[in-house]
Amino acid sequence: MIFLQLLINALSLGSFYALVAFGFALIFGVTHAFNLAHGELILLGGYLAYFLVKYWQLPFIWTLPVCMLGLTMAAVLLQKLLQQVQPPYELNTLVVTFGLALVLQNVMLILFSANYRLIPSVELPFELTKFALNITEAQVMDIVVSLVATISLHLLLRKTFLGKALRATIQNREAAKLVGIHVRRMSLIAFLLGGALIGLAGPLYARTAYLQPAGGTEPTLIAIVITIFAGVGRTRGILLGGWVLGVAESLSVYLLGSGWRELVSAVLLILLLILQPQGLLPQRARWLG
Amino acid sequence: MQVADEVQTPRYYETAPAGFSMTMRPLPASTFLYAAAVILLITWPFWGGSEGIYCRVMAMAFFYGALAYAWNLYSLTGCISLGHAAFFGLGAYGSGLASHYLGISPYWTVWIGGFLGALYGILWSVLFRKLRGARLGLATLASVEIPKVIVDNWDSFTFGSLGLVGIASLPGLNFAGLTVAFKDNFRTQYYLLLCTLTAIGMIHWLFIQSRWGWAARAVREEETAASMLGVNVAWTRGCALALSAFLTGVCGGVYAHLIGLIEPSMVFSLHISALPLVLSIFGGRYQTLGPVLGALILYPLDQLVFRSIFPVGHAFLYGLVIITTLIFFPNGVAGWLQQRVKIS
Repeated sequence: MIFLQLLINALSLGSFYALVAFGFALIFGVTHAFNLAHGELILLGGYLAYFLVKYWQLPFIWTLPVCMLGLTMAAVLLQKLLQQVQPPYELNTLVVTFGLALVLQNVMLILFSANYRLIPSVELPFELTKFALNITEAQVMDIVVSLVATISLHLLLRKTFLGKALRATIQNREAAKLVGIHVRRMSLIAFLLGGALIGLAGPLYARTAYLQPAGGTEPTLIAIVITIFAGVGRTRGILLGGWVLGVAESLSVYLLGSGWRELVSAVLLILLLILQPQGLLPQRARWLG
Repeated sequence: MQVADEVQTPRYYETAPAGFSMTMRPLPASTFLYAAAVILLITWPFWGGSEGIYCRVMAMAFFYGALAYAWNLYSLTGCISLGHAAFFGLGAYGSGLASHYLGISPYWTVWIGGFLGALYGILWSVLFRKLRGARLGLATLASVEIPKVIVDNWDSFTFGSLGLVGIASLPGLNFAGLTVAFKDNFRTQYYLLLCTLTAIGMIHWLFIQSRWGWAARAVREEETAASMLGVNVAWTRGCALALSAFLTGVCGGVYAHLIGLIEPSMVFSLHISALPLVLSIFGGRYQTLGPVLGALILYPLDQLVFRSIFPVGHAFLYGLVIITTLIFFPNGVAGWLQQRVKIS
């Protein structure tokens, strides 16, 4: 039974990781901007949810739309900032958002202090005594929200005209321009959607892991790992990548101890980069799915 | 002004008698500026009087200037590293643990720290030889985590997350009967770090002047063309990284022995990775004096002005600086100054 329990933990963790990665993958796919401040934006969303729950006694579920709205606005500001960046675009956005991550970390340190915070679960965990399983409300929520996000993003990208235009921009910017797609507007839309997805991940982060101003690097690395693993614009691949990473981390915690967990995403990222040095962007047919 | 002078001088000397020496030309004004700056820095500890803070802040500015020079050696080959904290931390732990377990003098152990850093640097250049630009930056960012987690978890050897406490401080030196002690003496530490900065700055300057430095810049500008001209790209880059990692490791060792206490989260931090990058890019990473200029301007500004306003989180200054520098003047302060002088 312990393996079933482990599997459930791993799947909920993996669903949460997929949720963390969606915003990054969308923004990176459409605009080629490496957003190293991604984790810090998620933390900002988490802090917003934390204070909404603590001081306004808002039910947790209502913090999701508020955070999505707030982070969408933050993402538009980020897009305006990154528009000013000079070429080489990828490298310079990497360095600029590295600076932005430093700014956000320290601003959060000034505003919220270095204390560890967590939105406590109100409900007790379900106990399926027959199977000796323990499932918390946060775990169910992670799985449900990330499934809903995956399905709606998938439908948006595959079934609507806007999704087609977004996918065309991801595949080839020049060709997309040639057929009359407004690439700049697409990048604005990518930042809007990405911001909403970051806002969705924030409150769940505050519930799954402890909020701490310096904790943003880890979600950033996780988002990058999953994006490289799945390839951009492949929604189901991202969910799968999240699950794989969740299982890998749970296994390493189970076998080695919790101290080694941080190593997993870093080593996976380095391995993926070494094995796919030519790029993360779609070049072959299998990326197009 | 200067440029105009130089354009006119040849005409001037054409009529001069043979054997007229060029040394008669007046020295440019910038020489006096440099001399004044050097004298000011050398005599600085005696201006502050009994107040140690100015002395200490300037000493740390030299230290980070030295780190920025070491970082810039690699950046001259066109690579932006976001992970120099790995070398720094390995140097600090290598040196601290060597002096803890083996009991040898810190003057020897800092080199052990440097070699550890260089080994990790060589590993980087072997593993990341195909990565460029943003992908290389990501790989370097992730590779800080590996030594950090290992040091954090190897409790029996590295003391884990509790950190290494009570590291031997640098013993005093004897010069002809005169003893120079470094422990708790900010003036001598100031001169030690000034010497470190000068040494690493000289290495940086020699690198830029040398054939190797020209090869490195050729690789930075256009890799394919450089290799067509017979530059061994991987070798040039790898050696620059090894040297850069070695010097960063030595700085880490010096830091461990000066502070006397290191923790994994302190020496493998994002802050240590970011600072040399910010200082170099702000100062101007293509200029000889860029990194030190960045360190001497930004670090005192951060510690003396921003720290008094924001006791915690004052480091957001560095983030703001890097964003504005990259967007508005990507060649840094030194590059900007040079352009201004040329135009006027």
